[in-house]
Amino acid sequence: MIKDSAASGDVSSRLADLRERFATRAAEDLQELERRAQVMREQGFDQAVMEDVCARLHRLAGSAGTFGFPELGEAARSLEKMLKAQAASGQGPVVSTLAVEKILALRTMLESPPMPVAEDEAMAETTERLEGSHGLRVAVRIVPARNTDYEWLAGALAAYGFDCRVMAGTDAEIIQTLATETGVATVILCADGRIAGIMEQLDASVQEPVRRMPLVCLSEDVSFDSRYQMAALGADGFFGRSPDLPELAERIEYLALERSSRVQGRVVLVEDDPELAEHYFLVLRSAGIDVCWVRDPMRLMSELSSFRPDILLMDVQLGPYSGVTLARMVRFDPQWLSLPIIYLSSEDNRDNQLEALSRGADEFLTKPVSDGYLVRAVRIRCFRARQLFRLMNRDSLTGLLKHSLIKLEAEKELARCRRDGHPASVVMVDLDHFKEINDTYGHRYGDMVIKALANTLRNRLRETDMIGRYGGEEFLVVLPHCDTEAARRLFTDIADAFSQLTFNGNNESFGVTLSAGVAAINNYVTGDDAVDAADQALYQRKRAGRNGVTVFGDDERNSGPTV
Amino acid sequence: MASEALNRILYVEDDPDIRAVAELALVDVGGFETCLCESGQQALAQIDDFEPDLVLLDVMMPGMDGPQTLQALRNRPEGLKVPAVFMTARLQPSEVEEYRAMGAIGVIPKPFDPMTLGDQIRALVNCQPDANSLDLR
Repeated sequence: MIKDSAASGDVSSRLADLRERFATRAAEDLQELERRAQVMREQGFDQAVMEDVCARLHRLAGSAGTFGFPELGEAARSLEKMLKAQAASGQGPVVSTLAVEKILALRTMLESPPMPVAEDEAMAETTERLEGSHGLRVAVRIVPARNTDYEWLAGALAAYGFDCRVMAGTDAEIIQTLATETGVATVILCADGRIAGIMEQLDASVQEPVRRMPLVCLSEDVSFDSRYQMAALGADGFFGRSPDLPELAERIEYLALERSSRVQGRVVLVEDDPELAEHYFLVLRSAGIDVCWVRDPMRLMSELSSFRPDILLMDVQLGPYSGVTLARMVRFDPQWLSLPIIYLSSEDNRDNQLEALSRGADEFLTKPVSDGYLVRAVRIRCFRARQLFRLMNRDSLTGLLKHSLIKLEAEKELARCRRDGHPASVVMVDLDHFKEINDTYGHRYGDMVIKALANTLRNRLRETDMIGRYGGEEFLVVLPHCDTEAARRLFTDIADAFSQLTFNGNNESFGVTLSAGVAAINNYVTGDDAVDAADQALYQRKRAGRNGVTVFGDDERNSGPTV
Repeated sequence: MASEALNRILYVEDDPDIRAVAELALVDVGGFETCLCESGQQALAQIDDFEPDLVLLDVMMPGMDGPQTLQALRNRPEGLKVPAVFMTARLQPSEVEEYRAMGAIGVIPKPFDPMTLGDQIRALVNCQPDANSLDLR
């Protein structure tokens, strides 16, 4: 019985064996559950059967996650809770059809392949740490009309940093392929003639990420009727056959970001019922949303300040306190004026709801709220809140940080470097001969070029990198954990890719190049000094012929004056 | 006396699957010497021979549950001089307090991650400035 710690085997293969054993036993368990659920549906409630069902669910809730089936575990947990709540509320004798259905649904979760969550996270971390790897690389899959060549579009979008592919095969085959690559954010570009078929396949998919894949329509016919028809079919975007590329790229980015599970959120939950709070907490957390549970309303203000949520989710009646009054009180503090407040309430009288809304809250979720609905409702509101925050803090043309904020980021990164001793770089980027573009083609085209550069930067840089619009055609980038040589390589690639983009103006196409200056943040006393050094390096690059990257201090090594 | 080092864990869990994966987690990943028991009774029978540095108890077990087992271990003439940790699937803040009040130094939620279970236990022990004083509560 006593095991010697030296006796080691191959942990992961033994773990896999155990997982398999668990899956077999859990399958039997689920079969038993199904049988019992059917019995209760047909023959009515039985206390002993119910207790057995709860015990089995409890076991699954506590073990499935350990063996790589976290979804199954969470579902079993919420089902156990639901049944117990029903029993406690005197509804015992009635086992709802919903409960039976949910029990049946458990099986599908066991059949989907186990997700070794921890390992995935570890892998994501290592790839992120690779210097120059990208943040969110969006996959674009093009579904062409027959006899139409879309390779040019794939090539053009690839220049923006998307992973592009034109799909061959029937609608069903295409969706099957897409179903195998759901780990990445994917956007489908689809020729109008094939939308109906593709949509049908998407909707029929058993995988939720596939069903929710955003789809942009490419259509020759840009009439109202055609647009309306595409909207009715469920397209998320509409472009002509020769789309404005920067605009299309931007829409792809937006859709990918909106749908991706990376749209996480931070929620403060005020709820005095611990059972309910725990349930909401688990449901939201399993959807990747950070939750801070506040039980005592007295602690609300301090928790808001330290947690800084995207939205506030609040019960309407909290013991002696009224959620409506608390919402008002929260609004006393100017920093929370724009914080979305959502009530969780069993109030279904529209007049009373409206009265509460007029006093400071934004919305009602009427209890009981289904888990899926809660997650979607919270996610979309967090997304909107973040969009609003972006609007206030980001440059309107490019969506990048405003001048003052990116300078602040440089300063903050310098402080982090001092603390941890890691290298970091700051890069000043400037478009070459930008004034000529504005003069020749007009400001509209100038803006297009600026947007294109912003999108390129966003696609090529890591999520942890910070990008800001510094001035008219100047951009400032802060790269944590990246020395100047890595930054040079990275921006040489970016300059190269950017120079290959073609823009169309006044019936002619043109290209634009960029220059970049790099400096090591940790070599300077203040962030401003580092930014100045990057600016000087940029100036040297401009004098040395533009279109490329110069690291501050390069000229000393190369010696000899450049004229 | 509770020894300074944490090497030996007495683990009580009725579910054989969980016992198997916990053994992997504690022995192979965590590097502990572990005595696996399938019931409170077995734990009572084994504890003197094994002399653990820590007792890890599942809360919900048929017959003697986790809290009852802890009580029984305490009620032995020599008492229980090492820290105890509970594992449970139903983790509510009030419950954690309840188990702490019983003298457990912590509660590990189920499902646990087999790759980090050992670290979780070590973290709980390291958070205790003086494990002995807790026995008095």
